[in-house]
Amino acid sequence: MTLHFNKESTYTHAIILGIFCLGFGVFLALTEWITHDSVLARAMEDRQNSLSQVMPAEIHDNNPVLDTLTIQDGEGRDITVYRARKAGLVTGVAYETFGSGYAGQMKYMIGVDANGYLLGVRVLSHKETPGLGDKIEIKKGDWILQFTGLSIGNPPIEKWKVKKDGGQFDQFTGATITPRGAVKAILNGLQFFDAHRAQLLEVN
Amino acid sequence: MSDVASILQSGPFAHSTNTVQRTMFLVLLALTPATLFNLYLFGWPSIFLFAVTIGSCVVLEGIALLLGGRPLMRTLTDGSAILTGWLLAMTLPPWAPWWIGMLGAVFAILLSKQAFGGLGQNLFNPAMVARVALLVSFPVVMTAWIAPHPLFTDGAPDITQSIAITFGGEMPDGVTAATALGYVKTELSRGIPVSQSLIEYGRGSNLTYTPDLMDLATGYKPGSLGETSAILILLGGLYLIRKRIITWHIPAMVLGTLFIIGTAFNLLDSSRFAPGLFHVFSGATFLGAFFIATDYVTSPVSIRGQIVFGIGIGLLTWVIRTFAGYPEGMAFAVLLMNSLTPIIDQYTRPRLFGRTSKGEPLPIKVQA
Amino acid sequence: MATANYNRIIRDGLWDNNGVLVMLLGMCPTMAMTTSATNGLGMGLATAVVMAASNLMVAAFRNYITQEVRIPVYILIVAANVTFVDLTMNAWMHELYKVLGLFIPLIVSNCLPLARLESFASKEPVMPALMDGIFMGLGFTLALTLIGAIREITGSGTLFADASLLLGPAFTFMELRIMPADMGVLMMILPPGGFLVTGLVVVGKRLLDLRAGKSIQMAGAHSV
Repeated sequence: MTLHFNKESTYTHAIILGIFCLGFGVFLALTEWITHDSVLARAMEDRQNSLSQVMPAEIHDNNPVLDTLTIQDGEGRDITVYRARKAGLVTGVAYETFGSGYAGQMKYMIGVDANGYLLGVRVLSHKETPGLGDKIEIKKGDWILQFTGLSIGNPPIEKWKVKKDGGQFDQFTGATITPRGAVKAILNGLQFFDAHRAQLLEVN
Repeated sequence: MSDVASILQSGPFAHSTNTVQRTMFLVLLALTPATLFNLYLFGWPSIFLFAVTIGSCVVLEGIALLLGGRPLMRTLTDGSAILTGWLLAMTLPPWAPWWIGMLGAVFAILLSKQAFGGLGQNLFNPAMVARVALLVSFPVVMTAWIAPHPLFTDGAPDITQSIAITFGGEMPDGVTAATALGYVKTELSRGIPVSQSLIEYGRGSNLTYTPDLMDLATGYKPGSLGETSAILILLGGLYLIRKRIITWHIPAMVLGTLFIIGTAFNLLDSSRFAPGLFHVFSGATFLGAFFIATDYVTSPVSIRGQIVFGIGIGLLTWVIRTFAGYPEGMAFAVLLMNSLTPIIDQYTRPRLFGRTSKGEPLPIKVQA
Repeated sequence: MATANYNRIIRDGLWDNNGVLVMLLGMCPTMAMTTSATNGLGMGLATAVVMAASNLMVAAFRNYITQEVRIPVYILIVAANVTFVDLTMNAWMHELYKVLGLFIPLIVSNCLPLARLESFASKEPVMPALMDGIFMGLGFTLALTLIGAIREITGSGTLFADASLLLGPAFTFMELRIMPADMGVLMMILPPGGFLVTGLVVVGKRLLDLRAGKSIQMAGAHSV
């Protein structure tokens, strides 16, 4: 193979590099064009899957991922609320709530029905000690499931604590701080619902 | 290498009575009072665990030597495996099950000592590697501290119960108690100021057994199998310094740094930071400062290097205790400084006789 | 070169000159992605695809790539292939993508593809280069799966957990539980376990070679 230009010139190198960049740029643009719709659909499915864990499919006939509302919580954070509707009426909402654990912030997603009862709780992210505090994950145990069906008043608010502090929720062997933070985060989430009930359930 | 050859090849020819055996024997002797006190304090389960840990270390050392085709008896009788096992046992929760001791021996002897080439070749302190590996792997078992149950007193487990505890893994209810470091850390995380939880820990409002501040120093308190008695460990350490097995630099730097930085931050904000004296008398501070940080193999050679090393351990221990996920940071601090030892040695190399600090020959002054 | 020695290429890639166990290249994904055999397998296969494609392209264009711009061009080619794998996996192998997604872009920084481009594909015809890419990649997969399997068994007590997500529901039979989860040595699935097991596997490979009477080939390259 012989090339008809001077291999030593700086321009030659620049042109070669330019041609490769152009070629692979086109290649990637094509890939992106072909996969674009699928990737968006997968992202939507992911969001729906994580929401369906805290909001059962029976209670809604809309797509909660697309029916959102942004409200500021007591600490000035913008909370995105996903709303489940049946025949236009809001039947439940899901949103993130935060608590502090043994090693930093823990993020939970909770689902609450229109009467203020918990539909489900899942932890989204945390940095707790593996083997001790990570039992809040659904993969490591069903501790987090006991909250489904509870509300403020059931149990009474003074029982929204771990057993060690006189409440009704089990702590883990060797770890009290994580469940304490989890209970607090969930309670905060319910109080957020109470504080914004009208706005959350508003039909618009 | 034959003896004759070695005599011909290298000087100095002065003879020292310090052999590996003698050093190890004196260290073990210095550890004995604190160990006996703790074996008494935590009873039969701790005695079983102590025996299993040391036994496993010696057996594994023997197996490793056989596999490596190295002389068996000479290395096995130098006492280094016994010392590693002893130190490891002293850092374990006293009623931990037998397999904790055995697995610890695998980490200490096989992975962190023999895999690096045996005595004198290891980069990290084997006992501390094992303790950290166990702590990270079995956080529940490795943080099950128990209140003191002295031998022959009411409530102490008898031999059959003790066998069930150590070999059956049956931990009785209501015997565990938080260590002072753990208690303060847990309380702080729910918003109770350190100053208040220290008083509570002393008063015993939350625990099955709680020591007052005097007990913190004498060692009648929950803690690992050999670390609780600061005073007896201090005695052992002073004996080693007197016998010139160790020098005072590393222990003094560790304790001093921890005390100064602890006190300074406590003065700034006593609700967030525990007092310096509390840091010094809690956890594994004394055991670490006198017996673990001073390990010949994994600490710097020169005095200047040892001072840097000791300050580093004190500083890191305080930082880990105060800000990290674990209440006790001594083991992590020692390991981190172990990894810096080669660099410290590099920068604190003493001047060679007849050379400048850079290794050049001294300039010869020519007389005019 | 008359005819390429495919036998040699296959042996080198899988065992004699294995990217991880001999050359000690690609340590970053080796440490990060071997917390289970399935993760190791998935990461290895994704890397193998990238390596095969990159080797093929570089060999095909080798007469047009000048010495001075070869490194940027190689990185461009690897990065383009990685992006291609990333997008297609996200679109059509989404379950696996959720496990490996974070680490797919790291293939760009893996030294092994770059090392093979520089030392092999840039000098050889298309076919041998393609074979080298495939078998170096499979050797990488082998090492990662082995390390992953050891860490998974000792750390969480399972073997090939979630393999059906990677290979399809037909492979559910591979998912084994060796011992109860609470007997696992947690450290093995944390980063220290990665270093520990990788070291032990390298030692094991050398012992096997010694026993087979081969001389041990020392690692000559350093990894990023």
